[in-house]
Amino acid sequence: MAVPTLKFAKPGTGRVIGDRFVGRAIRIYIPLLVLLIVTLFPFYWMAVTSFKSASELFDFSVSPLWVREPTLDWYKHLFTQTNFPHWAFNTAVVATVSTIISLFCSVLAGYSLARLRYRGADTIGWGIFVTYLVPPTLLFLPLTFVIRELHLFNNLWALILTYPTFLIPFCTWMLMGFFKGIPRELEEAALVDGATRIQAMVRIAIPLALPGILAAALFAFTLSWNEFLYALIFMNDSLVKTIPVGVTQELIHGDEFFWGELMAAALLGSVPVAVLYSFFVDYFVAGMTAGAVKG
Amino acid sequence: MTHRKKRAKSGWSRRDFLRTAGVAAAAIAFPEIIISCGPQSGGTPTAAIPKPRKGASIRLLQWTSFVKPADAEFKRQAAEWGTANGVTVAIETVTGDQLQPKTAAAVEANSGPDIIQMQYGWPQLYADACLDVTNEVNILISKLGKPDPVNEAFCKVNGTWRAIPYTVVPNAWTYRTDYFQQAGVTSFPKTWDELAAAAAKLKTTGKPMSQTDGHAYGDSLTMWNPVLWGFGGKEVNADGKTVAINSKETRDAIRWAQGAVKAGLVVHPEWLDPDNNQAYHADRISGTLNGASIYIREKIEFHKYTDVTNNAPMPSGPKGTFAMNLIFNHAVMKWSPDADTAKAMLLALMEKDQYQKWTMIASGYNAGPFEALHGDPVFKTDPKLTAFEDVVAPGKWPGWPAMPSKKTAQAQTQYIVADMFAKALANGGTGDMEAAIKGAETSLKAIFERP
Amino acid sequence: MGTATRTDAVPVWRRRRARIYDREAPLGYLLLAPTLVVLGIFLLYPFLFGIWLSITDSELGKLGEFIGLGNYRFEWRNTDGVFYTAVVNTFLYTGVTTVFKLGLGLVMALLLNQVIPFRRFVRAALLLPYIIPTVLSYEAWRWMFDPTFSVVNWLLVHTHLAAYPGPNWLGVPANAMAALMIVNIWRGTPFYAISFLAGMQVIPVDLYEAARVDGATRWQQLTNITLPMLRPVLLVVLLLSTILTFADFQGPFVLTNGAPYNSTQLLSIWAYQWGIPGGAIGLGAAISLVLFPLLTIVVAGVLFLLRRPE
Repeated sequence: MAVPTLKFAKPGTGRVIGDRFVGRAIRIYIPLLVLLIVTLFPFYWMAVTSFKSASELFDFSVSPLWVREPTLDWYKHLFTQTNFPHWAFNTAVVATVSTIISLFCSVLAGYSLARLRYRGADTIGWGIFVTYLVPPTLLFLPLTFVIRELHLFNNLWALILTYPTFLIPFCTWMLMGFFKGIPRELEEAALVDGATRIQAMVRIAIPLALPGILAAALFAFTLSWNEFLYALIFMNDSLVKTIPVGVTQELIHGDEFFWGELMAAALLGSVPVAVLYSFFVDYFVAGMTAGAVKG
Repeated sequence: MTHRKKRAKSGWSRRDFLRTAGVAAAAIAFPEIIISCGPQSGGTPTAAIPKPRKGASIRLLQWTSFVKPADAEFKRQAAEWGTANGVTVAIETVTGDQLQPKTAAAVEANSGPDIIQMQYGWPQLYADACLDVTNEVNILISKLGKPDPVNEAFCKVNGTWRAIPYTVVPNAWTYRTDYFQQAGVTSFPKTWDELAAAAAKLKTTGKPMSQTDGHAYGDSLTMWNPVLWGFGGKEVNADGKTVAINSKETRDAIRWAQGAVKAGLVVHPEWLDPDNNQAYHADRISGTLNGASIYIREKIEFHKYTDVTNNAPMPSGPKGTFAMNLIFNHAVMKWSPDADTAKAMLLALMEKDQYQKWTMIASGYNAGPFEALHGDPVFKTDPKLTAFEDVVAPGKWPGWPAMPSKKTAQAQTQYIVADMFAKALANGGTGDMEAAIKGAETSLKAIFERP
Repeated sequence: MGTATRTDAVPVWRRRRARIYDREAPLGYLLLAPTLVVLGIFLLYPFLFGIWLSITDSELGKLGEFIGLGNYRFEWRNTDGVFYTAVVNTFLYTGVTTVFKLGLGLVMALLLNQVIPFRRFVRAALLLPYIIPTVLSYEAWRWMFDPTFSVVNWLLVHTHLAAYPGPNWLGVPANAMAALMIVNIWRGTPFYAISFLAGMQVIPVDLYEAARVDGATRWQQLTNITLPMLRPVLLVVLLLSTILTFADFQGPFVLTNGAPYNSTQLLSIWAYQWGIPGGAIGLGAAISLVLFPLLTIVVAGVLFLLRRPE
């Protein structure tokens, strides 16, 4: 059986060129604009808030959508009077390392469960998945006990090691979906040509599943970036906290919210990552075809 | 186990060790024994003042106070004490919502901060994890006089002190004198009926009196429990077992509330604790019930309505004047390897001059829970603050007249009283009162009749 | 798995495959090992413990005794209706948001897969809701829905879409539920979009070319190629998102915490209220596990669908 040659779509190739503008507008630009407005409005609001002075914040007598006297005070506060840079650093470290660990585990497990046949595979796949049914709002109690036994309280490793527990099941299943979508024949051909199973996996299956792996990575990174409960429970000192926990703890005082700083922190904690992501997505939408047909 | 070894090594007397270990073991094995021997241990002639151990390290967990400088002062005092006694002190502050899961996790893992701030009835919930501090409270009583009954009710579990009284966050009405004048209300209402009448007049100014009846951690409890009590209603009888919400008095309270809302008091089931603060700062409302935070922030930060803001204590109902305040106490946790050091630190922080340095910086947000701490100078600095002092004495706890217990804590966290009012106050005060009471009764029965 | 018995009857290349299968077990387990180690250490014990809690009368810090299904019975028989409200709301919340997230996610993915100006900016923008720490975005939403400061209402009123003061978003039961859903959809859609976008990249372009040669319209290409080819990814995403939404806690907790009067109560919040602030951890566990059997059926169904194409 011949190796089927597969070509993959460059974005939009052939499908849109030649369209009339009106058609494109209705089909693409208008929906896109609507989506953009809905998605971005809260961010616009947060940005505006982060530049408003305290007294302007509560003043709705004039349009709240604009800043009359922009101030950078909140940003200054964030960097000079809180440990925000530390929190950002911690968050980045934790998210990166736990994403790498989770992906490593899930790529192997996903491949194993989707592609290899052996006794117990189904049950294990199930088992991995079923763990989601006990919600973290309860899981955190017994997990605390485990962390205590490992002496990891107040240590970033506590987060790096526990985050994979909710990342791996998802990533594994996601990748199972992708591995299943790859035609079996591609690998079989390689095996017939004398490649080992591992070579087939590394050279053929993984490159073809790259978009899935990247999507899983984004998922994992984001969830760790945002994780709140475990970070709240396992970390104690301000210097080892992550953004979500540190920010809420230092900027919400009793029943008074410090909106300017809160929103400044929210933006600083998300916009850079979003930009990073867009490059990432660009890569998997546009560039991923390169390795696909080499095998 | 390891921490016990450490304890023995670190210069503890054998007697101390045996006593603590024994109590801890007994607490785990036979909680009921503690009950019977509680008073004795309180009266033991030792009354030994706990001594800090050089080289110990103490971690204290509490909520982030609204008044930033007050947290800073608390940390400063703790650090100062630490330096003087060769103890490393770490103070961790988290928001009110976050304190509970963190405490729960510590209790479940049997490890964590040496001292945890106990809010409301937590000493009841976590009694097994809190060390007996009867001895220390007795020391404080000998110096500072009687503790406030509310703090005592919360801290004392079956006759044993499980936490050291720390502070009261008084809740009083903050209102705009200019709008009140404009509406022809010359002084803040003294009774609930007057309050309803005042609310009707203030409605005409376009700036109503408003309060939450939603799931707000503080504000909805501090409002609706006193209303219920003021008309003679109660969730449960003093025995802590018989649900008594379905009563004529409860109906009186709800009828008043419905009347007040129809007249012009605006209730917001969607408001959480920060919302009335924000509405006030934004000049949207003319009065609300809150801690001193609104007034203090106006005074310190916004300076917009300071001159036209005043505070007033709780109005009275036909059955008396009641208030509910936020009550915080400090428990020394059983897993602490240096429990004596922790106790010593808490005692030092409760020293009158230290304590009042802190309340002064807290600018009226906090009041002391012992007789000698009443009449705190901070309330003399600004006549507008006296209202916050006045609400301390009539303060009660959720579930009153029953003593605080796990059951009352559950009823509190499920917002049963506030929800009952909210249901009856839906659609401008025209909700179904009977259904609301029935719902509250069923929920309360589920809690109090649960084994 | 019984492949050996069939080998005689199958062609040579198949037989070779069968032999390869025979060697697959050790490798399969080997590849699974890291996952099993991590989950075994950090999840197995807490997971089993959680299930065990639900059949005991445990309280915080005090392990209870086995009481069988007592906790479950307690909730089923409780007549104050909060539990049933929570069940209905949880289903409604999960169902409605999932349908919207699925639909909008698909639209978003199709759009992102096009050549458009400012592509990077658009992608970054559409991904933002998913990236921003939820604690902070939910607080911001709370503020946007606050009747006093609702910028949403300000806009609605000033564009004359609503009369002053605009809808009370969080204070009226139906609105509050809608608000919870809006925020969940806002945050969850990008996740679907990314997953679908990734799924679209592995669809062989030949299929589209062939379809075009046959004169298929765009719509036919979508329904006959894109959607069927997306199926494995789509089902996995759907399954996981459903379960995660079922257990969603943070958003509803920050936005309403069950108010007004428990009308937006969800199982996750109800379980938390009993288990953590109420200290009845056994009952809390039972509440969050009460749908376990039902979810298991849903999951089994989806798994079955997932499997069929082989």
